[in-house]
Amino acid sequence: RRSEKPNWDYHAEIQAFSHRVQENFALDVLKTAFVNRCYIESEEARRRQLGLDKDAVALQLQDNSGLAERGLRFARAYLAQCFEGAYPELPAKGTEALVDFLTSQELVSYVAQNLSIQDLALCRDFPAPPDVLQRTFFAVIGALLESSGPDRTGIFVRDFFIPQLIGKDLFEIWEVVNPMGLLLEELTKRNIPAPEPRITRQLGVTTVLPVYFVGLYCDKKILAEGPGETLLAAEEEAARVALRKLYGYTENRRPWDYSKPKQGLAAEKAISSN
Amino acid sequence: RYVRQLQRLQLLFSPTAADARGARQFVEERAQDFARQHPDVVLYVNPHSGPGPAPVLRAEYLNGTVREELIASKTSEEIVQLATKLATQSGLDIIRIRKPFHTDNPSIQGQWHPLTNKPSILTVQGPRLRPK
Repeated sequence: RRSEKPNWDYHAEIQAFSHRVQENFALDVLKTAFVNRCYIESEEARRRQLGLDKDAVALQLQDNSGLAERGLRFARAYLAQCFEGAYPELPAKGTEALVDFLTSQELVSYVAQNLSIQDLALCRDFPAPPDVLQRTFFAVIGALLESSGPDRTGIFVRDFFIPQLIGKDLFEIWEVVNPMGLLLEELTKRNIPAPEPRITRQLGVTTVLPVYFVGLYCDKKILAEGPGETLLAAEEEAARVALRKLYGYTENRRPWDYSKPKQGLAAEKAISSN
Repeated sequence: RYVRQLQRLQLLFSPTAADARGARQFVEERAQDFARQHPDVVLYVNPHSGPGPAPVLRAEYLNGTVREELIASKTSEEIVQLATKLATQSGLDIIRIRKPFHTDNPSIQGQWHPLTNKPSILTVQGPRLRPK
């Protein structure tokens, strides 16, 4: 564990962390954010083992569970709002899948490890398990919420979570079992007639690796075209491409806007909806 | 936003050895300014007394790599330059980069595949209609 190796100053490390992330933290709130419940339990057990009187050396440390919960709620609400603003056509299940992916254990623990939270978090086991890292990171977000307010925390969440979506495709994150059915629902909502699949191009039909391009035509106008190995696979892929176009999540969409926000109304709404 | 990848710098030197003179001058004059200019790097100074290993500057990065640089017989300015170089590096291994370019979008209008410019089967070829 890094804290047990030589050259470790906890206070200096925490100050360096706040400068590294370019945020002003209230340091005592941040210190409680790094304390996990398993650490408090292990410390109390150790003190009882050493035979110390409980009143003489009381452990006055508070948990980070309250901060973690607040951070998690704020992060989820803010991310959901971001996606609703950026992709208004995406259905509720889609935004939920995206927010779940961004707050999942592996992603959050990966971000936390690359921000040196695994050194600063106080917990019982080493190396810290991913759910502990996730809880600690959300507690840090909660601490930032307490110290600087919802605007800065919103910018922080945007800067660290949304770049994890770069290069990812919508249907890698959101598992859709029946894209054709979903496409039919979307088209009925917009009053467009049902799509008619036709083979557009085909290559190597008689070989082991055929390629079929199936195009979906609505009212004889092209909607989307997708390749596949068999005709069914090509039709499903064409349905997925059509859904991507409808939701505005194609590869050639505008990249995310990371400029400074002018009003703080967005984050205020996130807080009030909690 | 930019997150500096250097976590901490540990300066191990001996107060009596002759080749650690630059390190001692750095600690006396420049170390405080360096620490003030880089508030997100924790600087530890460890003088170990007596003849010991050569003076070394150890840098730890956020992804866990630890890099040691010898500072024996270096002047104070050189140590400052070395420290700023380490502060701006990332913790990736220093290996030969195979190509000096990389893109995430190798093609803008779509990569060519054998069917790109072929007309689809559905276009009608009549005596007057030609596929465009």
